[in-house]
Amino acid sequence: MEKAEDILVLRARDFWASLVLGATSVFFLWKTMDIPLWGENKAGVSGTQWYDSAAIVPLFIFVGLLCLSIALFVISVRSGGARHALGAAGIGWNPDEAFRFSTIGLILLAYVGGLVPRVDFILCSGLLITALIFGYYGGHPRRAMIACGAVCLAGFTSLLLYPAQADWNAHADDWITLGIWVALTIPVLIKARSERLLRVVPYIAVLAPFILVCAMAFGFRQNVPARGGLLFQQIEYHYYVTLRPIWKG
Amino acid sequence: MEFVLSQLAGFGHAFAALVADPLTYLYLVFSVFLGITFGALPGLTATLAVTILTGFFGNKIPLDYSLIALLGAYVGAIYGGSYPSILLNIPGTAASAATAMDGHPLAKAGRGGEALGLTTTASFIGTIIGTLTLLIFVWALLLVSKNIASPEKALLALFGILLSGTLMSEDLVLKGWISGLIGLAMAMVGLDPLLSEPRYTFGWSYMLSGFQVVPVLMGAFAIPQIIEGLRHVEAGKVMALKGSILPNLSTVRRHLPTIGRSGVIGTGVGALPGVGEDVAGWVSYGVGKTVSKDGKNFGKGSLDGLLCSETANNACIGGALIPLLVLGIPGSPPAAALLGAFKINNVIPGPTIDPEIILRVVAILVLASLTMFLMGLFTARVFIKILKIPQTVFLPVVMVLTTIGSFSVGGGINDLYLMLGVGFVAYFMNLMKYPIAPLVIGVILGGLFDETFRRSLFLSDGDLSVFVSRPGAAILLVLNLALILSQLPPVKRLFARLKGAPA
Repeated sequence: MEKAEDILVLRARDFWASLVLGATSVFFLWKTMDIPLWGENKAGVSGTQWYDSAAIVPLFIFVGLLCLSIALFVISVRSGGARHALGAAGIGWNPDEAFRFSTIGLILLAYVGGLVPRVDFILCSGLLITALIFGYYGGHPRRAMIACGAVCLAGFTSLLLYPAQADWNAHADDWITLGIWVALTIPVLIKARSERLLRVVPYIAVLAPFILVCAMAFGFRQNVPARGGLLFQQIEYHYYVTLRPIWKG
Repeated sequence: MEFVLSQLAGFGHAFAALVADPLTYLYLVFSVFLGITFGALPGLTATLAVTILTGFFGNKIPLDYSLIALLGAYVGAIYGGSYPSILLNIPGTAASAATAMDGHPLAKAGRGGEALGLTTTASFIGTIIGTLTLLIFVWALLLVSKNIASPEKALLALFGILLSGTLMSEDLVLKGWISGLIGLAMAMVGLDPLLSEPRYTFGWSYMLSGFQVVPVLMGAFAIPQIIEGLRHVEAGKVMALKGSILPNLSTVRRHLPTIGRSGVIGTGVGALPGVGEDVAGWVSYGVGKTVSKDGKNFGKGSLDGLLCSETANNACIGGALIPLLVLGIPGSPPAAALLGAFKINNVIPGPTIDPEIILRVVAILVLASLTMFLMGLFTARVFIKILKIPQTVFLPVVMVLTTIGSFSVGGGINDLYLMLGVGFVAYFMNLMKYPIAPLVIGVILGGLFDETFRRSLFLSDGDLSVFVSRPGAAILLVLNLALILSQLPPVKRLFARLKGAPA
């Protein structure tokens, strides 16, 4: 019985997916029309034949996707997915799951979109690790909300303060992130009295990004995000000025 | 015979060179340990291990060392999945799902040590079977592949995407094909490979070079797993390990026919483009259940059942590398990540690959499986302790690793946006039971398909018969059509009727 219900939910999702997929395929078929297909003549130079046009394979792909989305639509309608999708408001996603996904999605968005380009990598990753472990270990929705709020506050403040790439090296957002990280660590330490595992969070949050960023920058000599960040700038300076001369003579 | 001996001699040289280099051991021990850890932690997979290491090591160290790291993690992770399967009844990776069927009942019966020892031995022998097959068959296939021209390559790439879509779909086969076509569509973004015509760039210069492989890999494999894994899961009770892990030689000898058969099945399944270790494990388990004398006890704690899946999933590794090295078509999702590593090192697998690389891959696999065997036997209790780490502690660190790995390959923040975008789409696709591996294989093979398909038409002045006039192309076209037709409902009904009809 439960399995039949699961399949019905799946078909309801397929119904919406087929509509989205169909619309996307039509949009990209329309965009494909911008690519010369029939040997156009540009500035007196004859263009390509249909068979080596850059549009031929995309046409094949998007026509294929359109056909498959129609087939998916038919399957979902025949198996009652359309009725279920239109009758019930949702797509079978329970509120807890929607909350969990939304908060994690927002955290990742704030981290990648707001923090990583602008804020010191150790600081923003430390905040992320603290927030994710505190928010999702043990399954407490209130903690997830606090964690999400903390990362979003840091991420979106940084985004709003320094939207232009030219300002990404400024440090005000580094200090704000550091402040939020310390503030979030306080409830972590309070809860750590009853949940022993939380005691390791500050260590992981500091050590993991520190080791990774140093390995990447000095071990593999690769570019790292926010090179001019509050902490990394100092680490890099002392690595090249204080430490490296020791073994380089 | 002379050919086999010359192969073995070439392998011997590559093996000796690796053994003589002290750095080999550093990378091997680190990567195999990391691989087993990833395999042992439910929620982290072999594909994720190889993907993350591709971002971390891909183009930052010499190719030889980066191959040691990636192959070591691949071998370790496929084996590591057996720990939670046996001790927790939770498969660490999809490849070990069949292992849980008999492994956990054995652990409950107080034979956990024996089960772990035998899976370690079987995984080792399985990897060696796959590797030897790779050593011998890859050369024969490379000779054949020299005659493969654009029409065959285009049809083979399409076959790989379709086959992976067909076999990886949990729900409707249609979804696997849609996933593959979405991957192909993503590969169309950027300047086209023949005429440099911009496609779907929307005026954004970043898009001119198309979607980079590593951010797509990270997004498709890591982000959905991070989102999915960050939930409260009641920690399962790890069964106490009773008995010695060191395998009993007479037991191993008694089960050698099962190990041999499963190794061959695993290698064969792995050699199919786009089909991974999980399919190999289940196919071998299914065959074992039918042919084994102990078949009726499968699922109740049969050693034969345990060995069927564990040997096959490790043997699949060597098999999966055959199409990768010969044709540039990955045989499994982790092999797709390996292809990404080859690509960012400017190595193009296929008929023109440097033969030395193949010999080194074989030598690395042998060393990696030996390292895995020794680690499995002597440090198993360390990995059992790792089983107790909750995912919610491990996954945030994986997110940081993924971010810095993805950033460092391309060196741009746009790659991170791409990774996140692909990750969210992949999460919803997972939710709706669309397999992700065909999408990634589509992205990787899309460029090859586009270029070879159009080159075929260009060289034949638009004559479509080029796809039937060459014997190889004709066979592949028939295979593609047969694969599509076999999934159509009327054809399926016809087959079902024929099957049900009395002889």
